[in-house]
Amino acid sequence: MISFKRLFTPVRSMNSEKAKEFIAQQPEGSYTLLDVRQPGEYEKEHIPGAKLIPMADLKDSLQDLDPEKPVITY
Amino acid sequence: MGGRSRVASQLLSGLGFKEVYNLEGGIKAWGGAKAEGPVELNMDLIRGDESPMEMIRLAYGMEKALESFYFTLKSGNDDPELQRFYQGMVAVEQIHKSRLFELHKEVDPPGQDLDAFEAAINTQIMEGGFNLEEFIEKNASFMNSVNEVLNLAMMLETQALDLYLRFSDKSAKATTKDVLFKLADEEKAHLAALGELLEKRL
Repeated sequence: MISFKRLFTPVRSMNSEKAKEFIAQQPEGSYTLLDVRQPGEYEKEHIPGAKLIPMADLKDSLQDLDPEKPVITY
Repeated sequence: MGGRSRVASQLLSGLGFKEVYNLEGGIKAWGGAKAEGPVELNMDLIRGDESPMEMIRLAYGMEKALESFYFTLKSGNDDPELQRFYQGMVAVEQIHKSRLFELHKEVDPPGQDLDAFEAAINTQIMEGGFNLEEFIEKNASFMNSVNEVLNLAMMLETQALDLYLRFSDKSAKATTKDVLFKLADEEKAHLAALGELLEKRL
């Protein structure tokens, strides 16, 4: 079954400046910075503190994420 | 490929995650500091079941090694401006160290003095997981001006920030995670200060 709710969930975006500000102000542990790229891309460069969960593994790794905390994905 | 993270954001929102944002432009548009290396980099330094005290000792060793790194650089340099910069970095690492000693006193009830604490520290590893001599040798040609050294210092702090947060991710104990979050917050503030300093100089 296609989840229409999921398809039409609007995704908010945050620009780099805002994200930088957010990360600078937010105490560590209170939010998640999620890197959904591949390990090789992460290895080359990543935002410090980002948690790597490649897109393909995301559905099986939900237990590692806290739904109550703000998440920034890239 | 911004498509992936948009899909990820939609997935998480649809699953009831309270607040999800997609970073516009992805890492290409990211204007802040970047870390490098695989997730496993230097993760062999911890087991994952460390107590807050063990983690404080490990971090103290890293900060202490970095302090002596800057001290060594200062001693081996006769440019007064660079010497002043290195001395400033030595002072920052000393602040990190005293912060760690304060944390240690919170975790471990009184009785242990600074000397006993220092004696139990391993300084073989450097903050950010670098080997000191190897690092100086490799980067000697990028250490000729304050701006170059500032860049290098920011790179080190970024790697340290990333390492503390990867440690926290691997640490099972919530209290140990909290110690690492506090350290990461300090590295973040320090990194921002270095960034401002660099911006002023450019």
